[in-house]
Parts: sequence; C-alpha cells; structure tokens
Amino acid sequence: MTPALACRAVSRTFGGVHAVEDVSFVVPQGSLCALIGPNGAGKTTLFNVATNLFPPTSGEILFFGRSAAGRAPHQLAADGVIRTFQTARVFPGMTTLENVLAGAHLHARVGALAQMLWTRAARGEERRLTAKADALLDLVGLRDARERATADLAIGAQKLIEIVRALMAGPRLLLLDEPAAGLNDRETAELAALLRAIRDAGTTILVVEHNMSLVMGVADEVFVLDAGRLIARGPPAAIQQDRAVIEAYLGRAEAAAP
Amino acid sequence: MAGLVQIVIGGLLQGGVFAIVALGFSLVYRVTNVVNLAQGAFCVLGAMGMYYFQVEFGWPILPAALAAVASATAFGVLVGLATFVPGVARLPPSSALVLTAGLLTFFVGVTLVVWGNQPYALPPFSGEAPFVLGGLRIPSQGLWLAGIAAAMIAALWLLLHKTPLGRALRACAENPLAARLMGIDLPRMMLLSFALAALIGSAGGVLVAPIMSLQFDSGQFFTISGFIAVAIGGMASFAGSIVGGLLLGVAEQLAAFYVSSLFANTLALLLLLAVLILRPAGLFAGGPARRSDVRDDTQVRRALVRLRGRAALGFAVALVAVLALLPALPLPGGLLASLVIALILFIAVLGLDVLMGFAGQVSLGHAGFMAVGGYAAAILATTYDWPPLAATLAALVLSVACALVLAATTRRLRGHYLALATLAFGLLVDSLTVGLVDLTGGPSGLVGIPAFTAAGFAFDTPTRMYYLVLALAVVLVVMLEGGMRMGFGRALKAVRSDQLAAAALGVNVGRVKIAALCLSSALASLSGSLYAFNFHFLSPEIVSTSRSFELIAMLVLGGEGTLIGGFFGSLVLTLLPTLVQDLAAFKTAAEGAILVVIFLAMPEGLFGRIAFWLGRVAPGMPRPRAEIAP
Repeated sequence: MTPALACRAVSRTFGGVHAVEDVSFVVPQGSLCALIGPNGAGKTTLFNVATNLFPPTSGEILFFGRSAAGRAPHQLAADGVIRTFQTARVFPGMTTLENVLAGAHLHARVGALAQMLWTRAARGEERRLTAKADALLDLVGLRDARERATADLAIGAQKLIEIVRALMAGPRLLLLDEPAAGLNDRETAELAALLRAIRDAGTTILVVEHNMSLVMGVADEVFVLDAGRLIARGPPAAIQQDRAVIEAYLGRAEAAAP
Repeated sequence: MAGLVQIVIGGLLQGGVFAIVALGFSLVYRVTNVVNLAQGAFCVLGAMGMYYFQVEFGWPILPAALAAVASATAFGVLVGLATFVPGVARLPPSSALVLTAGLLTFFVGVTLVVWGNQPYALPPFSGEAPFVLGGLRIPSQGLWLAGIAAAMIAALWLLLHKTPLGRALRACAENPLAARLMGIDLPRMMLLSFALAALIGSAGGVLVAPIMSLQFDSGQFFTISGFIAVAIGGMASFAGSIVGGLLLGVAEQLAAFYVSSLFANTLALLLLLAVLILRPAGLFAGGPARRSDVRDDTQVRRALVRLRGRAALGFAVALVAVLALLPALPLPGGLLASLVIALILFIAVLGLDVLMGFAGQVSLGHAGFMAVGGYAAAILATTYDWPPLAATLAALVLSVACALVLAATTRRLRGHYLALATLAFGLLVDSLTVGLVDLTGGPSGLVGIPAFTAAGFAFDTPTRMYYLVLALAVVLVVMLEGGMRMGFGRALKAVRSDQLAAAALGVNVGRVKIAALCLSSALASLSGSLYAFNFHFLSPEIVSTSRSFELIAMLVLGGEGTLIGGFFGSLVLTLLPTLVQDLAAFKTAAEGAILVVIFLAMPEGLFGRIAFWLGRVAPGMPRPRAEIAP
C-alpha cells in the first residue's frame, strides 16, 4: 500500500542555515506516527515544508503517492491531508459549532445559490452536518460550548475544537502540530484517547510533539529529529532506550528540568 | 518649448504640495502601519485657518500663517488623541483604515459647515506680480511654496535621521513590539507622527491656498493625490514620497494640458493602478514592507450578534409588517420617497456587508459598482430604449465583469493595498463618469431616465417604487441569510478570521474572495440601477467616493455581519437630514463622526444593540484590548 506520507531526502535551508537536512521517513497508512525532537530541531519547519507553506530546498514529499510540489494548501486539503497549527487557530468570530461546521467545507455538495434559495437539499445537508458536528462535540465533551464564541474558551478547549474541526473535513491523513501544547495532564490523557480512537477509526495520523508522555503512550512509530537531521526511528519503547536520542533529547530535557 | 517648461513648472509646484501630503502619509504609515486617509484634510484645515486669520481678522501674513498652522495642528492632535491613537490600538489595521476614512469625511463635513460650498482663494504672500526669469513666469507664491516645502522636508529628514526622537519614531516603524520593550512610548510616538503630519499638511495648505482655489471637498482631492504620490513612490520611503509627488504633479498638469482637464484624474489613477499592480511596494521600496493582511480577526475579537429562532422570526415579521403598512399611514410629504432611497441604498449596503462584514475585505470604492450599474442601465434605457428590467440585468452583468477584472488585476495584492486598489477603482469610475461627457452627461448628469417597468407595469409613483424595493430587499435578505448561515457564509467568515487555517481546511481563499466581491458588486449595481430609475436622474456626485464612504458608515452604524443591520444604518443616515432639514448641512460631518464613534464605542452597531435589548446575543461581546497588537 502507498504510504500516507513519504519524505524523500527533504532539505530546507534558510539563507545558509540548514533547518531540515536530508530527512527521509515514511508514515504508513493506518498508523499513528510521531515526530519528536528538542526545541529548534526543525520539527515545525519540516511540518510546514510538508504542507507546502514553504517548499523544500531539495527532496520530495509525497502524500498517498502524489507529489506535494506546487500544491496549494487548499489543494492538499482536498487530497485528504488536513493539518492543525501549533497555536490553536480557531476562527474567533464564530461559535464553536460554526467552527466545527467550517471543517466540512470540502464535503459540501450544495452550492451557494441553493443555500440562498433555502432548497430542501441545502437544509438537509445543513441538518446532516450539524448532527455530525454535534456528535463530534459530544465525543470531546464540548457539546455545552456549541453556541459560545470560541475565543472565550480555554486553550485546551480551543485545541480540541481545532482537532474536531479537522475531523469534520474527513481527513485521510491528519497532521497535528503540537496538539498537547498548553494542555494539562488530564487533558493530555483525554487527547491521547482521542488520537487512538481516530487512528482506530482508520485515519492516519502524524503528530509533531514535544510532550513525551503523549507520544510514548500512543505512537506506533516515532521519528526523532535533532538539529535538522533524523537521528532515530522506531517504536516508542526502542526510542526510549536509544542512546543518541537520550543524549540529544532526553538528556537535554532532563538538564533543562528545574 | 517654453510652454512645456511652463507646464512642468506648474506641475512641480502642485507636485510640491502632493509631496508634502505624501510625506505625511509615509510618516504616519511608518509609525502606525495605517494609511491615514484624513491626511489631505489637514491642508484644507490649514488654509481655512489662514483665511480666517488673514482675511477675516486682518492679521499680517506671518502671524496669520503661524496661527493657522498652529490651530490646525492643535485640532489635528485633539482629534488624533481622541480617535486615531485609540483606534489604531484597538482595531485591526483595515478597520483603522476605514476609521481614517471616517475622519476624512468628518473633516470634509466640518469644512462644509464652516465654509459652505464656495471655493476660496487667498491673496499671495508677496503680491500678484509673477517672478520672471528668462521669459518664464513663475508665480511668486510658487517660490514661497518651493522654498518652504524644501525647508520643511529637510527639517523633517534631520529630525527623523539625526535625533534620538527620530530614531524612536523609526524604531516603532520597524518593530513596534521591540520598540515598546525598549521603553518607547508607542502611543505617544503615534500621536507625534500624526501631529507632524498635521503640521506639514496644514503648512502645505497655507502655502498652496493662494495658487489653488480650495473648497470644502478639496481635502479629498489632497488625500487622493497625496496617496497616489506615496503609492507611486513607495509607502515607506522618504525620497519616494517626494519624487512620487513631483511626478504626479507634472503628469497631471501635462495630462490636463494635452488631453483634457476632465481626464487629468483618470490618468493619475491609471498610473496608480499600474504601480499598485506591477510594483505594489512602489518605485522606491524602502524599508521593510510591513504587510498586514485583510482584517486580521485573529488579533481582535468581534461581536457575535445574532438573533435566534423565535426572536429572529418575530423581529423579522414585525419589521416587515410595519414597513408594509407604512404607505397606508398619513406620512409627512417626501418621507416615503426618502424611505425608497433608504431601501435602495440598503441593497448596496447588503452587498458591502457580504464583502466587509462576512468576508472581511474592505472596499473603499463600492459606489463605483453603483455607478456602473446606474449609468449602464440608465444609458441603455434612455439612449437605446432598452426595457428597464433588461437594462438593469445587463448592467449587473457588466458590474460583475468589472469586479472580475478588478479581482484578476489585483489578485496579488493583500490587505491595505487591496483596500486602496478598490479606492482607486471607485475614483477611476468617478473620474470616468465626469470625463465621458458624451456618454454620461458629464458633471451635470444624465437626465430623462424613465421609470422602472417590469412585465408592462410601471413603478412610477413613490408608493409603487416603495413596494418594489421593499419586496426586493426582503427577498435579498432572506436569500443572503440562507447563504450566510450555511456553508457559503461559513467559508466567508473563515476567510475573514484566518486565511491560513481556512486554506488548511480546503477553502480556496482566492475563489471565496472573488465570489464575495462578485456578489457584492451585483448588489451594488442593482442598487445603482434602481436609484437611477427611481430618481430619473443620475450624476457623478450621487455615486461618488463620498457615497462609498457613506455606505461604509451605514454598514458600521447598523452593525457589520448582521445583514439586516445595514437597513437601520441606511434608514438613520438617509432620514435624519430629511426629517430635520436644519441638519442637512451637517450630514457629511455627522456621517464621518458616526463612523468614527461607532467604530470606537459601539462596534456591534445599532442592530447589535437591538439584539442586546432583546436579550438574545450570543456571549462573547468584544472587549477593548488594552494592548497594542505587535
């Protein structure tokens, strides 16, 4: 089966600085993979390169066997590749429900004109999507917040809404950028359960994460990035034992701990 | 040859004033990242002060000039302190841009109240006799203008580049957050830049008043010319402002001499559009271009004004019932006719709401589409005897085509530049309606436009017209409500809130913006056509840039993103001057003031207030932010 994501020798330089250097890895379909690394390792850069916010200097990125080169973000989304952002980018001028419904944009079958004419099809679709959105909000326990402005909600809730909104888009590959940043322990545990549920439902996930407990608890395979290079890959248990990783990542993380 | 040199000299003199206004733009923009459209009004304020001190009070020239500049600057500082600085701190950049459009309207209105609509010319500083040099005649005032302008420019350059204060000002321009962290008082620097801009602007006005007759709306002229100059030269470049100003002055004079004075403006605007499209950063792209995107809501929270379920239905039914019964009541004469106008303008405001309130794109030239719709329909119906309905539809197609061309040519522009391109579009249409005399009747307008007819029924009385536009408005509101509350509206709001996140969900941001622009231009066009058929007359003034600003004022007053809110806005701004005739002279000033005050104090608008009272507002009303956005 073609992998959901294949990075082939991807490099990205910023004026002589190698932010990402010769990185290759594969995210198989149906898996939940994690990309980790210490601060400044190039995780988010790699993520942004992958989603074409800025193209790679060299190398190639394939989503489901199709090159991402020259594809605009909305085209990637149409291919089933949906991403979230490091800082939750909910739409602040909309309610929670509207935010989640906005995720269904790709699946709207009724045009603007039909909506303006309040056709039966338009109203039916609206009802269907709302029911789906409500079900997803139930799943993450945010049903009560459906009519509230998302800007009023706590960061944890906003991050969940962003994930739920991404799910509304029916992704084949879900790319999550530090979903646990800003969450407390309980919320992180809930997030882990949610990610497992999404994976078990058949959606491939790649999560870029800082939070080791989340990653080690849920990931099938972990890629470790340090100073722009991939230094290790493997199942979480093996990664925890990897000497290079401990030196590059865990060692520093421990040293930095108060 | 001597004639050419003479024209160039005239152009350089006029360009000197443009350069001064352009410098003011550049100064304020570099510190606040806001294009201050009120800039040109300072020239007129200065000239107006000069008129009073010199002509009315009989002061000698020097004290009169100093007093005029000082009082205009003081007035500018007060207004800046009360509105501009808090506005920049609280509003997203594009709303701040609209705020300055409100300030410009306010200043123009104040000048209208004080001066009336007469043109004024002041005596030259040193007599009427021109200075003659080798057969060239240079007005002596021109020497004063050139000399003092050069001195001011030099002083400003020294201030910016050679003093600690100038360094602080420039630091704000480069990185406001870092500047704050370094202990620079950003609001004070903003006010300082605003005051300096007011100072040089009013001085420019005092200098130019003897060689150019000024009137109440000259402020708009100076703003537009200064803006074109600074856009040509480069928004963030000192030298660019000066070169841009001089270039524009000479180009306008040459165009006026060799083509036609009616088209001088058209050529300048084409020049501007060309520069905006080909080199958005200007010819002298100096300094870092701080590109801000469309109304970035990620920084600013906005009201979620919404009536739901029964409250909405009850409100709508009651409103439509009252409006439907109005003609049966014994109304004071002319009121029904004013209501017709209010409803016709409401249709344009609806379109503007889709574009601004929902999709977050600022259009400062929306009356341009009204003009296309109005003139095209009127010309087809009058000159070519088309049935009004067919003419209206054809005009609508033409307007949408214009919108598509505008969208295609400006697709690389974002944020301010896009808003300013729409302003240029409105002004371009403006100047064409004036210039194409054979087609449009020129400044005196197009007369003898027939009444609207459809299926053999003539809407030739105010009552008939009233029911026609009321029915249209109701149908449009119901349709747009459907579109805006379902997927289409969500895509628009997503684009308004966060384009990157919207694109990540598969929203084709460019296409959504174009769809919003087309829809909104179609509604403006319809409104323009109806206006022409209702009034039986159309003149450039009816669909000028002032009208564009008025439409924005109506929308903001009523409440953005609410659809129905615009009705209350257009009702109030249309009826107030009719009901209270004495206030008619204050209309323009009031519109400007309302736009500014509502933006600052009641961003949810009239309808937001109504929804508040009905107690069904979704939580999350905006709070003013204490911090200035980095």
